[in-house]
Amino acid sequence: MKFSSVRYLVKEGFKGVWANRLMSLASIGVLVACMVVIGLAILISENVTKAIGNLEKENVVMVYMKDYSWALYSDTLESDVENAEDTSSDEATSGAESTENSDNSEDNASTEDGADKNGIKDTDYEIHNDEEAEELRAKIEALPNVDKAEYISSQSGLENVKENMLEGQADYFTFLDDEYGNPLSAAVKVTMKDMALFDETIKQIEELNGVDTIRSHGELAEKIDAIKQGIYVAGFWIIAILVIIALVIVSNTIRVTMYNRKLEISIMKAVGATDTFVRIPFLVEGLIIGIISALISEGLIYFCYRVATEKISAILGTVVKFGEVSWYLLLVFIGIGLFAGAFGSVIMIRKYLKREGSEFTAI
Amino acid sequence: MAEEQLLESFAGNTALEPVIEFRGVSKTYPSGTHALEDVNIRINKGEFVFVVGSSGAGKSTFMKLIMREEKANTGIINVNGFNLTKMSRKKVPLLRRTMGIVFQDFRLIPTMNVFDNVAFAMHVVGESGRGVRREVSKALSKVGLGDKARSMPMQLSGGEQQRVGLARALVNSPDLIIADEPTGNVDPNMSYEIVNLLTEINKRGTTILMVTHDHNLVRDFKHRVIMLDKGRIIADNAAGGAE
Repeated sequence: MKFSSVRYLVKEGFKGVWANRLMSLASIGVLVACMVVIGLAILISENVTKAIGNLEKENVVMVYMKDYSWALYSDTLESDVENAEDTSSDEATSGAESTENSDNSEDNASTEDGADKNGIKDTDYEIHNDEEAEELRAKIEALPNVDKAEYISSQSGLENVKENMLEGQADYFTFLDDEYGNPLSAAVKVTMKDMALFDETIKQIEELNGVDTIRSHGELAEKIDAIKQGIYVAGFWIIAILVIIALVIVSNTIRVTMYNRKLEISIMKAVGATDTFVRIPFLVEGLIIGIISALISEGLIYFCYRVATEKISAILGTVVKFGEVSWYLLLVFIGIGLFAGAFGSVIMIRKYLKREGSEFTAI
Repeated sequence: MAEEQLLESFAGNTALEPVIEFRGVSKTYPSGTHALEDVNIRINKGEFVFVVGSSGAGKSTFMKLIMREEKANTGIINVNGFNLTKMSRKKVPLLRRTMGIVFQDFRLIPTMNVFDNVAFAMHVVGESGRGVRREVSKALSKVGLGDKARSMPMQLSGGEQQRVGLARALVNSPDLIIADEPTGNVDPNMSYEIVNLLTEINKRGTTILMVTHDHNLVRDFKHRVIMLDKGRIIADNAAGGAE
């Protein structure tokens, strides 16, 4: 087909939208209604997913390290600690990790078996200094399902605990620093990407050297994951059903349009138009209607969402900003618009093109 | 009729180029209606032929077979050099571009103006630009509607609308024009004007095949008349004029 013919047919498509403006308007109205409902469903699902995502972020896992404090306070070594208190002569060089124990280490001097005044030897624990702690943190962060891994030194851990205590209460615990050393091991605060892989990830962390205990809320993770899956499945089906409804309504609207224009098609065929020649203006018309509907829907959704979120965000807190999903929504709308337009015009026109014997009687 | 006999019967006319040729053509619709039975006909280039007959005589089927809207059950049909019996569906548009069709009910696209309705037939064959403007203006002038190019079909009288239909049939300079009761929806004066126009076009060498019910027209214009009844040709006055 010549370029000039294509240009003519595209122009005819544009003219067709205007020439059959009542039908175009009906098609656009139906499409916009469907798209707005689909758009709202997407926005609601996005917002729920975001809310769940926030909840997920709260569900952090604390990974405690086998460091000096662990060696000092762990059950297995408890008796040793008591012994150490009695003798208080055993000394060992504590790593940079246990700077909080500097009071103790000042007097520390190596004994023959390498134990410090608390009776703890280098070999009793695995994380000796900041470098080793950082190494472990990096290893955790490198795991595929780990989103963030934040290092919390035993000192800052203790400070956090004290901060959460009531006023004055914290003073009771000063002995921990001064006399026995910090009971809190250094830890890594881990946030996971996907709660569905929770158990697997916990297992992977447990296998790393230097990891003592992991404190987590596995059940909560499971619940969150179940809710998330539910929302995904429900969201998918709701949107899929809406898309199907949209297509059925659009094809019906086009069927009515086609019925009105069968005379046009019969004339085209009678004067020797090929099937493609008949089809292109209708296809162009369908696509134009699809794009116009997509743009109108985007505008309408933007307006509705802005009004709605102004009121809702005050109650519910953060909501998904329109800017975050505007392109995604527009793409979905244009996709539906183009598909519905093309599907509607090409599939429905087939019926009239295939029917032989309609040129003379125009039926 | 046997093939040899058919060939023999056409042997006398070999000097003239056939535009439409029916050999032993029969058409029965799935409903069981025998629309045409054993029709043999030869219309040569430059002829003007009236096709007459009562309702149900087979006139419409005859026209439908020529434009390959229907296929014959038996027999051979040749139109403008196309063998319609063997023709694939894809080639049908090519056949139709060699002929101009005029309908009883005008068949103008209501959303297009007069100019675009006529130009449309040219765009279908891949013409564009200045050539279209020139030829459309020429065709509209021929039918006396040069000043109505921008009017919409609804603003025209029946006779004027039929002349637009005629201009559309003419614009690609076809070798054959088939007109299905072109005077059926216009007043008597306009009927004569339309047949006069067709006669003018015929004088320039275009073959015209016109179905009509109007006996006055058949009587007054001395052309070949083919009379159909119950699917058979009962008279063919090849010499012109009607009884």
